[in-house]
Amino acid sequence: MLDRLSDDLDYHALNAMLNLYDSEGNIRFDADRMAARQYFLQHVNQNTVFFHSLDEKLDYLVEEGYYEAEVLAAYPREFLREIWAAAYARKFRFPTFLGAFKYYTSYTLKTRDGQRYLERYEDRVVMVSLALARGDQALAMSFMEETLSGRFQPATPTFLNAGKKSRGELISCFLLRLEDNMESIGRGINSALQLSKRGGGVALMLTNIREYGAPIKGIENQSSGVIPIMKLLEDSFSYANQLGARQGAGAVYLNAHHPDILRFLDTKRENADEKIRIKTLSLGVVIPDVTFELAKRNEPMYLFSPHDVQKVYGVPFSEISVSEKYDEMVEDKRIRKKKINAREFFQTLAEIQFESGYPYIMFEDTVNKANPIEGRITMSNLCSEILQVNEASTFNDDLSYDHLGTDISCNLGSMNIARAMDGGDLGRTVEAAIRSLTAVSEMSAIDSVPSVRRGNDESHAIGLGQMNLHGFLAREHIHYGSPEGVEFTSVYFATVAYHAIRASNALAREHGRSFKGFETSAYADGSFFDKYTERDWLPEGDTVRALFERFGQQLPTRADWAALKEAVMTDGLYNRNLQAVPPTGSISYINNSTSSIHPIVSKIEIRKEGKIGRVYYPAAFMNNENLEYYRDAYEIGPEKLIDTYAAATEHVDQGLSLTLFFPAEATTRDINRAQIYAWKKGIKTIYYVRLRQTALEGTEVQGCVSCTL
Amino acid sequence: MKDAQILRSVPRAINWNRLEDEKDLEVWNRLTVNFWLPEKVPLSNDVQSWGQLTPEEQTLTIRVFTGLTLLDTIQNGLGAPALMGDAITPHEEAVLSNIAFMEAVHARSYSSIFSTLCSTKEVDEAFRWSQENPHLQAKARAVLETYAPGADPLKRKIASVFLESFMFYSGFYLPMYWSSRAKLTNTADLIRLIIRDEAVHGYYIGYKFQRGLETLPQARRDELKDYAFSLLFELYEIESRYTEELYDPLGLTEEVKAFLHYNANKALQNLGFEALFPDEAAEVNPAILAALSPDSENHDFFSGSGSSYVIGRAVATEDEDWDF
Repeated sequence: MLDRLSDDLDYHALNAMLNLYDSEGNIRFDADRMAARQYFLQHVNQNTVFFHSLDEKLDYLVEEGYYEAEVLAAYPREFLREIWAAAYARKFRFPTFLGAFKYYTSYTLKTRDGQRYLERYEDRVVMVSLALARGDQALAMSFMEETLSGRFQPATPTFLNAGKKSRGELISCFLLRLEDNMESIGRGINSALQLSKRGGGVALMLTNIREYGAPIKGIENQSSGVIPIMKLLEDSFSYANQLGARQGAGAVYLNAHHPDILRFLDTKRENADEKIRIKTLSLGVVIPDVTFELAKRNEPMYLFSPHDVQKVYGVPFSEISVSEKYDEMVEDKRIRKKKINAREFFQTLAEIQFESGYPYIMFEDTVNKANPIEGRITMSNLCSEILQVNEASTFNDDLSYDHLGTDISCNLGSMNIARAMDGGDLGRTVEAAIRSLTAVSEMSAIDSVPSVRRGNDESHAIGLGQMNLHGFLAREHIHYGSPEGVEFTSVYFATVAYHAIRASNALAREHGRSFKGFETSAYADGSFFDKYTERDWLPEGDTVRALFERFGQQLPTRADWAALKEAVMTDGLYNRNLQAVPPTGSISYINNSTSSIHPIVSKIEIRKEGKIGRVYYPAAFMNNENLEYYRDAYEIGPEKLIDTYAAATEHVDQGLSLTLFFPAEATTRDINRAQIYAWKKGIKTIYYVRLRQTALEGTEVQGCVSCTL
Repeated sequence: MKDAQILRSVPRAINWNRLEDEKDLEVWNRLTVNFWLPEKVPLSNDVQSWGQLTPEEQTLTIRVFTGLTLLDTIQNGLGAPALMGDAITPHEEAVLSNIAFMEAVHARSYSSIFSTLCSTKEVDEAFRWSQENPHLQAKARAVLETYAPGADPLKRKIASVFLESFMFYSGFYLPMYWSSRAKLTNTADLIRLIIRDEAVHGYYIGYKFQRGLETLPQARRDELKDYAFSLLFELYEIESRYTEELYDPLGLTEEVKAFLHYNANKALQNLGFEALFPDEAAEVNPAILAALSPDSENHDFFSGSGSSYVIGRAVATEDEDWDF
């Protein structure tokens, strides 16, 4: 049947067959493999520029200005031949159509007219490794091995850009503060444009902006609040795109106790007026513990004018802990306030999430309690996994900096849990990953946004993520969210945390210095390590213990942690932040992983992206025999997902993108309950809320895999 | 019919707590949570992609959408209101008024697509084309005849189901085709929202037809079935010629016809009749078929708004939920 089909069907049609059951009710994995093969036969091979030798190829790519000459010049030619030979000897093949398609449409180097391919997957991996290793041959070789084996995958901006002559930045993600003055707002918009142009996602904090109707220069009812700023930002992001490669993308965060909060949420209403509707900007709400307490007591919640708070306390609203000062601010006559019903606020939040998936949520007090660094965390980013401290800038009349504060950038990369376990040496993989990410930080200098540059130079903050948790568990016949699944997650993440800190400590020794602010961190006084030296984080059940043993993984003991504590207190840490678990869209497809540490959204995922259209993707390691381990996120439900994330959160210094999944028949109350449960379990942030509507009986597309429950 | 007369003679308030047919509430709920407006879709993200289509492809796309606009206009202004007059229960009437309104939203959506992607001149030209194209006009007239005052209510339903479940699809094919080729993906999102609605509309009207049919004597049933098949033949003839005219230049006609067969069978199924076309003739390109399913789509924030969000049911939290 398939042979007949493959003759007259193109690869898109073959790939789409994944989403349609065959006559026996089986999923047609073979159709997808056939699609991947046909994609190479019908398209890739014919459109790839041919070179007789590596030398010819490298010379051509450098002369024509495709590759950065300096990257290759840092190595002897002999070594280049060696690393390329080693890479090609691994005989890499894309196991899915989407993996191959995504790689060739979005990552590989193409001729300037965009018509022909100049790189195969191995070439990209080697170039990225060479660029990041900056002349260190052993390091380059280890980056190549970790990446090509699929154990570590740099994030899109790094993997897409490194080694290319005309390219965007290597960093994914930026977070900017806005303060309550026109200079800061203008600078923020300018920075958003600059960073979008270079290919980053940008989040901005609006909490300090005075509310609608607040006075300006003492004259009442002058301010127009946060909405017009959001409009300006939204337009800025759609204007700036990387040579049309992709739209700029942005998020804005607002504290729940900001007076404009309901207006802010209403911008995502289905029936919002065009003047205030926000289509493409993402929203996030910062919620302190006190909001939950108020809702529990079913009391009103007060919203405070940031303008007045700043006048009373002498610091911006975002620098105040609302939970701590709530009663004080309620009593203070100088602070203008209004009140809304706390429970209704949560219900509104859930209504908007139903309609739009937004806002993201950051649990402010949870985040700050877990923060080992001095200072406050006041916002998160476009994927809600970056959680770092920042510092306000002030400006002179000529718009130059009066005080240069710090803003946040973060470069990411993720380990494929299954491949890292297979590799048998988590320590080696984590260390290579940390060194690779640190290289990106050291190689980046965003001069167009000086506050970002300063933040990066001083902190070398990085975010090591993880993906393919569900794929790995399913392959090992463990159900996602089962006690074994949660236990594995806890032990795995504790091990990764140990090796990440160990690697950063080694970097501090090599460089002879730590990140700025190390002395006042919980690492310096050793208190960070208490929870690791006071108890074990080793497997207690037989299943999980056997799993780690089978793959030959050494797990850190309490004694190992104690020794690490001494080493860190002596020599410091090079990176202020180490881990952050992003949602991993594109890179998990080319890496053949399930996304992040989420459960799968569907056995066959429908993926839509501007550049590649609708494509179908089978969950990693799934076949017609092990389907029972591939229950999707909607079937698994929010509690097991939150339990799994809570186990990981324990060991991640920044955040994790956690999406909640509900059937469309759910109510706002179901969403609220999941949020309360997440907050109770110590989750730091919630990313999207996603809904699935089952087709009305009689209207469904027949035989569709993603449509069935 | 008797109930309908009573409805008209003694004005009665609609009581949703006294249902004569549970299906009315089920469909009402489905339609209301599915409410949407074209403004939610960032169509302007397709401007670049639009520019990459050839002039012929652009013309075809605009024409297809004017054709769809015409059908939605008919269904909004005449079709659904005509069916409302035939409604047996006040709830059915309410559901049909929702259907009528959403058809207006659909017609409005095509104009949003036009104003975002095309120049006024191009659009005016396409609308002129839609008024002059004999196949499109024949299509519209065939349906309009059955909607005329005094026509048989069940025949109206047949025509209406054909319109909702069959005639739209020669037009829907194109945006699905583009989307499977990574073109106009946000437009496809919008069309998928329309398809989501039309699927429910066709299903519901077909369901009401079947309820109406149940009470009739065999002779009358046979008559209606004959009528349905002969109308479908007539529409299929027109549709084939319309399809050839539109899609021949791109060489897609055979594929679109298979898609028509598939949907003709679907429309008959909605009416409770057996399929007309054999499975082999209704084998749709999997890329198109799979593109029809709106659910569980995974997209990133760089792309658009997707087609799976709905208006949720708001339920207040209780004290026990806040137990911490």
